[in-house]
Amino acid sequence: METIRNYLETMFAKLPNTTEIRKAKNELWQMMEDKYTELTHEGKTENEAIGIVISEFGNLDEISDDLGIKNLMLQEQFGNSRAVTLEEVKEYFRDKSRSGYMRALGVFLCIISVCGFLIKIGDNWIRSGSIATVFMFSVIAVAVGLFIYSGISMGKWDYLRKQKCSISFATAEYVHNRRESFRVIYAMMITIGVILCILSILPYLLLNIVSVGFANVLMFVLVGVGVFLLVAAGNINTGYTVILSLNKGDTMGAEFVPSQRQVRYNNKTVETIMSVWWPSVTCVYLCWSFLSFDWHFTWIVWVIAGVVEMLIKNIYRD
Amino acid sequence: MNGISSDVIRGYNDTMILYLLWDHPSYGYEISKQIKSLSQEKYVIKETTLYSAFTRMEKNGYVESFNDDTENGRRRTYYRITESGRAYYLDKCAEWTLTKEVVERFIKEGNDSGNN
Repeated sequence: METIRNYLETMFAKLPNTTEIRKAKNELWQMMEDKYTELTHEGKTENEAIGIVISEFGNLDEISDDLGIKNLMLQEQFGNSRAVTLEEVKEYFRDKSRSGYMRALGVFLCIISVCGFLIKIGDNWIRSGSIATVFMFSVIAVAVGLFIYSGISMGKWDYLRKQKCSISFATAEYVHNRRESFRVIYAMMITIGVILCILSILPYLLLNIVSVGFANVLMFVLVGVGVFLLVAAGNINTGYTVILSLNKGDTMGAEFVPSQRQVRYNNKTVETIMSVWWPSVTCVYLCWSFLSFDWHFTWIVWVIAGVVEMLIKNIYRD
Repeated sequence: MNGISSDVIRGYNDTMILYLLWDHPSYGYEISKQIKSLSQEKYVIKETTLYSAFTRMEKNGYVESFNDDTENGRRRTYYRITESGRAYYLDKCAEWTLTKEVVERFIKEGNDSGNN
């Protein structure tokens, strides 16, 4: 059955994504499924049944007129995309998650780089001392090194964005399943990340009396770990989105994974804003939090952003 | 002879489908199965041919489609013949009678045809 599905999806993958074509694919699938089911009930082996169904399928050229495509051959512009194999996709995910952790580590280091200024040795702040400065610059240097290295190592995947690429139905399914199993981990990383950012205020409140310096350091470390989780989770998740959106929305290939179908807005400006919605929200959240240090309060940004997103989706959805 | 040439039979796919829809609505696979058995397996209609015929006839108003659930709960598209579909079918039958009559005049009888 999977083979037949694969066959049909591949035949349709590069056709334009229109109502007529979706209807045709759906109905042809019904016929093939009926035929396959009956053949196997008659006692044919799976391979025999698949062979018969596929050999009796016919030719898509025959229905091209009915589908509003003058000539399937003219559709070649949809055809000349680079096919990304399953092996390449797996390798991309390995690289993407490694670079995700490296970037997250870089951000973590940047956040804790100021800690040197907050530590008190005995009665003396080392704030004025050069040790704090040296510590800050070395840590930032390591962080920048991590950013550059992860950037360069991801360079070989640039073609995914620059070239026209496509993935097969089987690959799309693999990615979809993998993303589904990552979903729980993703949710946990984001949740713990946000919780750590909110809780970062606690050491300040609880330990303030004991030692200001220690409380401050602990706060930065908590925020650092929180942001590390947010950045890493975000980076890995982006990898799945990148691969699943390779099949362009105007071809049937985009239908491989139903949940991937993006919300379409009926307004260009809104669509542009929504495409950068969550990164912008994250940016606002971090800027506001770091500038005001009201971590105990700034998390409200997420709640507001969530509600506003729902509103926009409902108002402007196509 | 290796079976029926699809060029020749193309004009009569509609006739066969409408004949099978005459008494009750039906769906893709059932029709293709009936065509196969009624033709004593001499003609197997391809899925794409069948779908093409359905859409063309629906556009011309000879059949109507509707969705219904199957025994095991899947959605399936059924087709039902319309009044103009019935009229079209009768026209096609008359056309075939004429065609057969004309073509037959040019067909040599018996197995040794072509040798004399």
